[in-house]
Amino acid sequence: MNPTKVNTLTLLLCLLPGVGYLLVFFGLPLVTVVFGSFTSRAPGASPITLDTWITLFSSPVYLDGLWFSLWLGIAPTAVSLLVSLPLSALMQANETSQKLFGTLYRIPLVVPGVVAGFLVLVILDRGGMASRLLMPLGIPMPRLVRDDWGVGAIIASSWKTIPFMTLIIAGAMAAISKDILAAARTLGANRLTVLWRIQLPLAQPGITAAVLLSFIGSLGSYVIPSLLGPAYPLPLSVHMFAEGFQKGNWPMVYAMGTLLSVLAIAVLLAYYAIVGSFSRGSAALTARS
Amino acid sequence: MASRSSKSQGLVGFGLYAYLALTLLFPIIVIALWAFYDPKVGWFPPDIIPRSFSLSAWREVLADRNIWPSAMLSLFVSIVVTVLTGALAFPTAWALAQFPFRLKRAVEIFILAPVIVPGIVVAISLGEIFFRFGLFGTVLGVILVQLIGTLPFMIRILTATLEGIPNELIYAARTLGASPRVAVLCIALPLAWPGFAAGGLLTFIASFEEFEKSFMVGAPKVQTLAVRLWSYLGGDILVLPTAAVVTFILLTPMLVIFILAERLSKDDVMAAGLGKL
Repeated sequence: MNPTKVNTLTLLLCLLPGVGYLLVFFGLPLVTVVFGSFTSRAPGASPITLDTWITLFSSPVYLDGLWFSLWLGIAPTAVSLLVSLPLSALMQANETSQKLFGTLYRIPLVVPGVVAGFLVLVILDRGGMASRLLMPLGIPMPRLVRDDWGVGAIIASSWKTIPFMTLIIAGAMAAISKDILAAARTLGANRLTVLWRIQLPLAQPGITAAVLLSFIGSLGSYVIPSLLGPAYPLPLSVHMFAEGFQKGNWPMVYAMGTLLSVLAIAVLLAYYAIVGSFSRGSAALTARS
Repeated sequence: MASRSSKSQGLVGFGLYAYLALTLLFPIIVIALWAFYDPKVGWFPPDIIPRSFSLSAWREVLADRNIWPSAMLSLFVSIVVTVLTGALAFPTAWALAQFPFRLKRAVEIFILAPVIVPGIVVAISLGEIFFRFGLFGTVLGVILVQLIGTLPFMIRILTATLEGIPNELIYAARTLGASPRVAVLCIALPLAWPGFAAGGLLTFIASFEEFEKSFMVGAPKVQTLAVRLWSYLGGDILVLPTAAVVTFILLTPMLVIFILAERLSKDDVMAAGLGKL
């Protein structure tokens, strides 16, 4: 039997359950979103129009929402990266604690976003545990929940993304041969030099993937900003829900959805550009895992 | 040298566990205090620890007729989603692992797309489509929308597992007279068990904790545990003790499954499924 020659019908039948499902329940809604953003349901208006997009980009409320969505994508990613990199490096440095710590630090991965928001609420909200603990020390608690910068939402998102990033980055670092690290140490490099010149560059594909996925995850999150974020500005995800289920303005929902998707895909393409060509990038990443 | 090394090891260990204490232990203690404080006495600032404890929030939640149906519903949805995800993912993963074909890279990218496009975008649009077909606010609708998020990871994990099965085993079965179908069902399917176990646990967890997509398609009729917790937090009145109790009810099965998953899967399947794009 020649393994390279497979009946096309067999191939299609095999691909059908997974790919077919995603085509119907993911592809179709996505196409609806993109095309729906160019339609109008107002009576008398032309059915195909750019009006929704013009409204979206000329309304300060929506534009602020766009910037706030980006902020809520970028800030938790940056915070998580600053915490995950040292955590991953420390995990490599201490093998005895790897087992227990390696299990426990991942717990937030299985904690729903609603719960993460709740944790931040009871600790950082006014009258929460942090302010009670700081009060005897005479330190006033700044407003962190429903504040203008969305600090509470950023902390809750970071709490979820730090283990996620650490998982990927620590995995990438663990895949680096110990011989390379030992060789560098023998040649006189100290721990920091090894981290900076050897571990980080070699783990770079994993780090980039983690940054990308965490940005995308936070970009469209709904529950955390609606629980902890300020009343203004609202991120696009929260706008979408209100526009759709409260105002019935579906073309605007679709335009915002298209915009969020385009942003996410643009970041993915930038990622491929950083990692290299499509094939080179996938080869490097596949070899690592 | 040895003592210096062990000292730095101790410092590193201390740093790691200090991080855990701050981000994990501390929040859990605070939630526990909220779950067990006595609402009759109250718990107001500046008290750090409630003056008296009671089980009244627990009694209230356990007597609430809505909690158990929600818990059962969450369990049911997660089991169905896990089984369906495995069943739909296996043939596709088999094709991706075994058959070389043109456009394979395109298919792989398409399968990854639901991870890239924010879930809320597809869910909100699917919610409107489901509304027209009478699927909005139904358990079936929630199951269908959750599959979008779980299928990509299951396909990736199963593909990686199936790629690891030596072709010789399949060829041997074929030589010994097994039809292609028998070879797949009797050889590849059992050998893919580690992938099913790891992917299945991941799927179950993802489905159990899923909120946003289920909320967009099912609310307010379909109340899984995560959606119910939201109604305690985001509703008109903030019911902190009740929410704290529901948090514990929601977390306990998660943690059990999580520790099971750690025991069962040697390889880091989550890293394998997520670390490469």
